[in-house]
Amino acid sequence: MLDFVAKFTDKKIKIVKIGTKFFLENKQLAKHKLDAKEKIFGLYLGEQKDTFVPSFGLLNWLAEHSEEKVFVKDIGEIDFLYGKNLRARHVARVEGSTKIGFLKLIQNEHDENLGYGKIVGEFGKTNQVVKHRMDRGHFLAREKVNKVDKKA
Amino acid sequence: MNIFTKRYEEMGEKISFIKIPRTIRVNTTKISATNLKERLEKKGIEVEKVPFVKNAFYIRSYFNIVSSPEYLLGLFYIQDAAAQIPVDVLKPKGLVLDGFAAPGGKTTQLAEFCDVIAVEQKKERFTALENNLERLGIRNCIGYQMDFRSVNEKFDYILVDAPCSGNFMLEGKQWFKKNSMRRIEERARLQKELLSHAINLLNKDGVLVYSTCSLEPEEDEFVLQYALDNFNVKLEKIDCIGDPGFTAVFGKKLDKSMTFARRLWPHKTGTIGFFIARLRKC
Repeated sequence: MLDFVAKFTDKKIKIVKIGTKFFLENKQLAKHKLDAKEKIFGLYLGEQKDTFVPSFGLLNWLAEHSEEKVFVKDIGEIDFLYGKNLRARHVARVEGSTKIGFLKLIQNEHDENLGYGKIVGEFGKTNQVVKHRMDRGHFLAREKVNKVDKKA
Repeated sequence: MNIFTKRYEEMGEKISFIKIPRTIRVNTTKISATNLKERLEKKGIEVEKVPFVKNAFYIRSYFNIVSSPEYLLGLFYIQDAAAQIPVDVLKPKGLVLDGFAAPGGKTTQLAEFCDVIAVEQKKERFTALENNLERLGIRNCIGYQMDFRSVNEKFDYILVDAPCSGNFMLEGKQWFKKNSMRRIEERARLQKELLSHAINLLNKDGVLVYSTCSLEPEEDEFVLQYALDNFNVKLEKIDCIGDPGFTAVFGKKLDKSMTFARRLWPHKTGTIGFFIARLRKC
């Protein structure tokens, strides 16, 4: 998990591990723990499976502390949320490194995190520039898998 | 006419199915109501303020808003207006226990005001809670997958949005087929047990909101009467839409303070059926 964070920022992140899951350390919340095993402890950061799978909470945290961002236009936002790679026409601007192979946070024009991807082309030169890795459209897939009563 | 519509007539209500516009609650930890309204309107979505709850909009959209970036970014939660009232009525500070948390509508709303201990027993519902906490970016909630009856610590604020039989606005005519008085009575027994446990967890002078989406007095006023008869609690006045709770129904006389509770009849409030009451431990 820390290796993943280090790809975006030098900022130290304090974590709490529960089983295979990571959460952001939160001293205020720790005061409230019940005498039972919690499953959620504040901001969920991700899970160690075969590899580390980040949460959207972690990507938001990174967006607050990292400059490794690609900002996309409205059309880029929609396409990326449908799982598509980013092309030159999608990109509004880039901050941080532009080296091929680097991971980038994908932000919309309001600087809200949509997910992340990997640079695969040269900005301003090639058509395909960022390969999609993970996007918030994943919530839709999860809801389909886990249909529960939405009344409340 | 089925047994339930007859009962509603006995309660003085001629119920009808109404079309409720889709309603959303703004996630104010991420965006203001004004800014969200502006963003949705830019996308051609009709947005209208719900007059009786804070930060809620009726929306009319030519596409499914669940696939919109604003939904995926967690800027709002799809939630009937009635279901948004209990948190407003509770007005929690510091820390609140949400006893029946999934799928997380009220939990994420509570988290706008204070830290939340969220309890949910069923695994698949707990997963839905986890997803919604993540989508809405909630940082101040601890979640336990456990039976509410195993919680054993004291709180100043508790939300008991009790498991209930639901109402016809949620499931249409199927609801009438699915339900029977036996099922309602089984629910009522469980609700009394859960409310009793919740009252035991409440500190002196602590506040508890009891709500259901049932319109059956057995799950609402009768459960509260049981609490008033067996515990040192009182009902408090609440300021929200709806009719006063019954002080006499189906031949039973109930405490006068039952008028402080609110029942929301769909044909009167334009919401799902709902019941809300605020209790204070003396």
